[in-house]
This record gives sequence, C-alpha cells and structure tokens, in this order.
Amino acid sequence: MRRSSNRKSSSASAAAGSGSTKAASKEFEKIDHLFNVYADKSSAIIDPEGIEQLCSSLEVDYTDVRILMLAWKMKAQKQGFFTLEEWRTGLKALRADSMSKLKKALPELDKEVSRPTDFLDFYSYAFRYCLTEDKQKCIDIESACQLLSLVLGTQFGPQVDKFTEYLKSQSEYKVMNMDQWMGFYRFCNEIPFPSLENYDSDLAWPLILDNFVEWFRENQK
Amino acid sequence: MNSQSQSQSQRRKNFKIEAFKHKVELDPKYAERTWKVLEHAIHEIYNNNASRLSFEELYRSAYNMVLHKYGDKLYSGLVATMTAHLNKIAKSVESAQGGLFLEKLNHKWADHNKALQMIRDILMYMDRSYVPTSHKTPVHELGLNLWRDHIIHSPNIQARLQDTLLDLVQRERTGDVINRGLMRNITKMLMDLGSSVYQDDFEKPFLDVSASFYSGESQQFIECCDCGSYLKKAERRLNEEMERVSHYLDAKTEVKITSVVEREMIANHMQRLVHMDNSGLVNMLIDDKYDDLSRMYSLFKRVPEGLSTIRDVMTSYLRERGRVLVTDTERLKDPVEFVQCLLNEKDKHDKIISTAFNNDKTFQNALNSSFEYFINLNNRSAEFISLYLDDKLRKGLKGASEEEVEVVLDKVMMLFRYLQEKDVFEKYYKQHLAKRLLSGKTVSDDAERSMIVKLKTECGYQFTSKLEGMFTDMKTSEDTMLDFYAKQSAELGDGPTLAVQILTTGSWPTQPTAACNLPPEILTVCEKFRTYYLGTHSGRRLTWQTNMGTADIKATFGKGHKHELNVSTYQMCVLMLFNSADGLTYREIEQATEIPALDLKRCLQSLACVKGKNVLRKEPMSKDISEEDVFYFNDKFTSKFVKVKIGTVVAQKESEPEKQETRQRVEEDRKPQIEAAIVRIMKSRRVLDHNSIVAEVTKQLQSRFLPNPVVIKKRIESLIEREFLERDKADRKLYRYLA
Repeated sequence: MRRSSNRKSSSASAAAGSGSTKAASKEFEKIDHLFNVYADKSSAIIDPEGIEQLCSSLEVDYTDVRILMLAWKMKAQKQGFFTLEEWRTGLKALRADSMSKLKKALPELDKEVSRPTDFLDFYSYAFRYCLTEDKQKCIDIESACQLLSLVLGTQFGPQVDKFTEYLKSQSEYKVMNMDQWMGFYRFCNEIPFPSLENYDSDLAWPLILDNFVEWFRENQK
Repeated sequence: MNSQSQSQSQRRKNFKIEAFKHKVELDPKYAERTWKVLEHAIHEIYNNNASRLSFEELYRSAYNMVLHKYGDKLYSGLVATMTAHLNKIAKSVESAQGGLFLEKLNHKWADHNKALQMIRDILMYMDRSYVPTSHKTPVHELGLNLWRDHIIHSPNIQARLQDTLLDLVQRERTGDVINRGLMRNITKMLMDLGSSVYQDDFEKPFLDVSASFYSGESQQFIECCDCGSYLKKAERRLNEEMERVSHYLDAKTEVKITSVVEREMIANHMQRLVHMDNSGLVNMLIDDKYDDLSRMYSLFKRVPEGLSTIRDVMTSYLRERGRVLVTDTERLKDPVEFVQCLLNEKDKHDKIISTAFNNDKTFQNALNSSFEYFINLNNRSAEFISLYLDDKLRKGLKGASEEEVEVVLDKVMMLFRYLQEKDVFEKYYKQHLAKRLLSGKTVSDDAERSMIVKLKTECGYQFTSKLEGMFTDMKTSEDTMLDFYAKQSAELGDGPTLAVQILTTGSWPTQPTAACNLPPEILTVCEKFRTYYLGTHSGRRLTWQTNMGTADIKATFGKGHKHELNVSTYQMCVLMLFNSADGLTYREIEQATEIPALDLKRCLQSLACVKGKNVLRKEPMSKDISEEDVFYFNDKFTSKFVKVKIGTVVAQKESEPEKQETRQRVEEDRKPQIEAAIVRIMKSRRVLDHNSIVAEVTKQLQSRFLPNPVVIKKRIESLIEREFLERDKADRKLYRYLA
C-alpha cells in the first residue's frame, strides 16, 4: 500500500523534475542504474542479500552504523530492504550517483548525523526501523542493547555500557518501547555520568531509568 | 425745657466712671511678715501642732501673697522649709535600729502625708493660679518628690530600704512570718512616689533576687526529688508568689514574678523533668497518674514550648509503644486479642487526655497521628480489624444492649479511620461478612446494618454498595424459598429440605468453584429448584457453589444412637457415600465426589481426626491424610450432644499463601483505580508535571489507599503506550492529555 503511494508522489516529483534540466533526469538515470546492480531482478527491490553486496562494495561492514545512517537518509521503511524511491531519495540527497561518490559521501553523512538536531531524528528513526512487524511497538531487550551500542556507542560509550549491562542483568523488562528509548537519549544528554548528581526520580523520567539509576548506585557501593 | 436738658447731657458727657486704678501695694515688709506666719504654720504642722492654727487666716495669707505677686517667694519658701524638715526626718529614720527602721519610715510617711494634705489645702490658691502659670510642680506632687529625693533616695536610706525589704521576702520564703501590713504600706508608698520608683527601688531588685533564689532552689529540688514531687513544689511556690503579690505588692508585679518562677523552676528544667527516670512523663502515662499529669500540663502550659515538649515526648512514646505492639509476633497470633489491645491503648490514652490534659485538641491530634503511624506499620492490621469485628458480630456482642453495640462499633471505626489501606479492609470484611451471612451466624442483624451505615458515612456509597447487595440477596433468597416451597410442595414430597441462597456474582467475594458430585437425593431437589428459578428469572445463570454450603444430616450410630450432624457440603457428599458402603479408600472417595484434593483432605481430616467429631474412622490412625488411607463409618462414635457441628466455615486468619493471594488481588484492583484517577486529572488539567500528578492522584485516592508513587509512574507509562497521554514535546517534564 505504502509503496504505491510513494511511487505516485515520486512519480509526480519526477514529472515535475523532468520539466527542469536534462541533467537532473540524467542523474536519476545513473542512480537507477546503480539501483539495479543490487536489486533483486524479480521484486525490483534491494533485499538483504543485495544490501550485503552493497556493503562489500562500500567496503563497510554489514553491521556498521553507516548503513543505518544510509537507510535513514533514504527514509527506508522496512529493515533490510530498499525500494527504488527510497534509493533515489537517499542518493539524491547525498549527491551520489556512482559507487565512488557514494563511498565518499559516507563520512559526510556521519558528520551530518552527529549534529544534535539531526541526530535526534536519526536516533528515533533507528528504533522505528527495528519494528519489523505490523503494529509492533517494542523491541526485545537483546536487540535494544545492540542497537544502543551501535547508535550511541561512540558518543556516550560509558552510559551505554552500563545501561546495557543493567538491561541484561534484570528480568523485569523484556522489551523496550519508544518512550523508554527516547528517554535514554535525553538521560545521556542531561545527566552527568557517572556522578548522576542531578537525577531526580520524582521527575518524569521513565521508570526503567529510575531502576537503572538505583541499580547503578547500588553497584557503586 | 430744651436748654435744661442740653446742659444736663453736657454734664453727663463730662462725667466718666473710671476703673479703680489704685494698686494696693503690699509692703515688702508685710510680705516677709506674711511668709513668716506661713513658715511657722508649716513648722507646727510638721510638729503635729496643727490644731492651734487658723485655716482661714493662713489661707488668706497665702492668697494675699500670691495676689500681690509674691508667689515666687511663697513657693521657694515652701520648698526650703519642707526640705529642711525632710532632712531632719531622714536623720531620724537613719538612726532607727534593725526592725524599727521600716516602722519608723512608715510612721514618718504617714505623718508627711497628713502634713502635706494640710499644707496643700492652705496653699490651694497658689496651687491653682501661680503654679500653672509659672510651670512649677503642684504642692502635692512637690511634697512627694521631695520625700523621694530626701528620704528614699538619701544615701543612707536607699540601699538599706531595699535590703530590708528583700530580706523580709527571703525570710518569708524560707518559712518565717513577717509583718505583711507594714510591707504593704511601704510598697504602696513607693508606688505613690511613682511607678518608676517602685520599679527601680524595689521591683527590679526583687525580681533579680527571686530569680537567683528560685534558680538555686530548683537546682536543689531537681537533684533530690522525683518528677511528681518536684512539680508539686513548683506549683506551691507559684501559688505562694501570687499570694504574696495580692497581700503586699503591686498587682502589676504578679505577671513578672510568676514568669520568673515559671522560667527558673519549669522552663529551665523541662527536658530533665519530662525525661526523668522512673518518674518522668512516660512513667506517669504508663501508670495513669492523672493528678501528676494534670499538674504537669497546667504548669508547662505557662512556659513557651511547654506543651509542645509534653506532646512530643508523648508522641514518640506512643509511636514506639505502638510499633512494639504491632510487631510483637506472639500477640499477632491472636488477631482478636491484638485489636482488643489496640482498643485498650486508645481508651487509656483518651482518658488521660480528657482527664489530665483538659481535652486539649492538639494532644488528641498527636494521639491520632501516632496511632495512624503504627497501625499502618503492620500490613495485616486491616485484616485483623475485620476479624475482630467478625468475632464480635458472630458471638462477642451476644446479649449486648443497643448502646453497648454502638459503643464497640464506634471504637472500632476509630481504628478503621487510621488505616491507610482501606481497600484491603473492604476485601476482608466482604469475605468475613459473606461467611457470617451464609452460615447464619450473626449475633444481630441490626448490629450488622449499623456497621454498614458507619462504613458508608465514613467512606461513601461505593464502599458499601456491594455489602448492602449481600444483605439484599439474603432477604430475596428467603422470599424465593418460601415461594418455591409454596408452589412445589406437592412434587417434593419426602425429599431433603433445601434452603438456597442466591448470590449475585458481583456483590459476593469471588472464589473459584470446582463442582463436585452431589448425592442423587440432593441433585434431584437441586434440579427442581433450578428449573423453578430459571422459570421465573429467564436469562440468568445459576452455578452451585459447593464449597460454601452446609447440610444437616441425621445419622444413626451403633446401639441406635442418633445424632444430627451439621456439616459442610463437601462433608455431606463424603458421608452420604457411606450409606452404601462401610469402608472406602481415599481414591474411591475422590473419584466418587470429585472434590479437589486439598479440600478433600481438609474435609476428611475434620471428619476422621478430630476428637469428639470423628464420625469416620481412618486406617492408619495417623494425624494426616494420605492418599493410601482407608475410611470407615465409625459405629462407635459418641457425643454428649445430640447436635454435633463438624462444619469448617468460620472466618480465620489467612495462611501466608492466602494472604499473598489477597494482597495480589488488591494490588490488581488498584491499578485501574489509579489509571482512572490519572485520566480524570489529566482530562481536566490538560498539561501537568509529574510531581503534581502524583500529588493529585494520592489526594483523590486517599480515602481508599495510599498509592505507591512507583506504581503511579508505571500506570502513566502504560497510558502513554496506549496513547491516552504523551510527553510534552517542548518540556519533557510535562505530560499532555490526548483527547
């Protein structure tokens, strides 16, 4: 359903675009050509296998966070798949129409994502990207831990380490929801670590963080 | 005619009447002479020879002097003369020995006043005309001032006077009798001379000396007296001082001297008194020493922080005592005793507050807050209070009058008010009430209803609506049974008599029911009832609650002994099996009745293992039921009672697992209540911060229970997940209501 609506809108934009320079349509041509290199012939979509190939072309590991960033730039809806529209969106925004340009664009992308406003968007995207089932609202703790390391590991290493340690050791929470996910990012930004000095559990912090702080303080002793 | 009048008027014009311009000059010599007369008179007055003087003449002399502008001379002469006399008097007073000093002073003062009066009368014209215009002190006042300056403040008198007065007070304090009348005169003299004279020359030193006196005395007493005796002494001293003031001091001194005594004897030793070993406040409370407590209250009331000191010590004592009571494991074994203990404590301290503490509301509040504190330390208090009521309503209040019942129920209500977890109480009360109603074991319907009314008044309609529903069901069931038998009597014939209680599911405490196999005779009549009932009430479903019923069975034992056994439904099912078999194994019984294992074991135990109620015999004769046991009808059963009760439906203290289960159910029930409160609050406020929500929710639910802030947070998060609320995007400390 969604894809067809995307196609409609993008074809509208393509129609508008085609009114402009020939260079623009040529750009899409190259992009589309690149798309077809990795897309599955029958479904006309890049599937997990295709992504794996893409990764080796980019000389980037499958699990590298830059793939996730790429997906974000593409506004990809489904984990493990890139549609043509999404491919076009992403590569156009990156001004890349060849593999070499795409490779060069990745470090820029890294910097872009790190900007606070963009990072917030990227961070919440990362969570949503993992909601693979229809109507799914939570991801299991194991996956959440991995995702946290991937996405926040460089920026807030110590907090992520401790938090994932806590999550793995407790049994009360088996899943994490969006509210808790966003809460943790806010926590990293607002609360000094490891002192945790201005953390007040009477404020509106999610309960999971209250419990984490308590656990952390207990283990300090 | 004309000319005559003309000359007359001319003459009239020339004739003038002039004012009398003659100044009657008083010859200065005459002034001197007049003064001498007056001076002489003053001397005579002071020498008590006034009787020979002519008032009229002297008055006229003074008048003339003033009139002829010799006021100055008169006035200064007066001053000089009076001063001379006062100096003489001073010497006379100074020379008085020992005890006569005061007397002489007093005597001379009286004389001086008399003299002054006469002098003032004589010089009244001067007082009225010369004195105001020349801004001089009037005669009377002059006389007092001169007395003050030349007598009282004379170097040889001032200190001696003060010492003498203070010495007399000291002697009186140590038990001597002194001349109070003389003292009064002297102090009155000082007051007459001006309140500053009284204060500086007497009152201030008096207060200082008293302070050190009482400081010393209180130190002495407190080393050797117990608290009660000390307070008695303090009270006595206080009364003494007040009496002293009324007898010979100025009234304004009373509040000053009493505050000295209060400070020295009470305020400075408050802590030590209250905490005194073996005789302090706590001991007085324990031993119901109403007199001592009353005295302490009225004395401490006079000093700042006095009452709050008593109150604080009482509060911490009560809290500790209460805490010990509610955590005493021995006492906790008997819930009824436990609650009775609490009631006794309340009664005891109520009496203390009304008898000794003047029904002081702040003390009542302290008592209430202490009880509220420790009752809630034990999370079984709610259950135990319900058990206490169960005991009273089941048998404890048997034979009691209506007033006695009300008194007991009201007292228990007071304890109920202290409970924070009123919803836990509700759950237990419902269970216990159900058992009472169904077993018909209630001492008085009126008492039951009275209790419901009290709970309704305290907690509102919703608290008691289900309880009232239970009563309604009982009444309706009665009517239904009458109708059933009226309509069906022909068909029923000789079958067992059935009494059905139809319970509306929502109102009664829920218990999981496992159906069991009823004996065929019972089944028949039950089915007949079911048909009848569903005939008149279509659309309803009836489920037999076999774990709650009772049965009366006629049994014939060996030698033809007949007994009527009152048993539970399960027990009936088991016993009826023995109509067709003498002995049955456990498994056979289990199979035939399909009673759940735990219940069956309990049932068999009560039928076979209890002395005096062993209508069944078990092999082996062990105390516990094992699945290998065999049961026989006990032919040899005897009892001195014709009717034997074997049922097990009395309300009891819950076992640990049962308690956990109930607690869990209560916690589950609380979740929707908390959520409903949150939604209500957010709906009206739209946006609110976390702390405010917690405070509001707590306030809304306080009449039922105290919500745990962690649980509230969890509920909020659950509501966020279900998209009833969201976090505000701008300020993540706020929550927003999603319509």
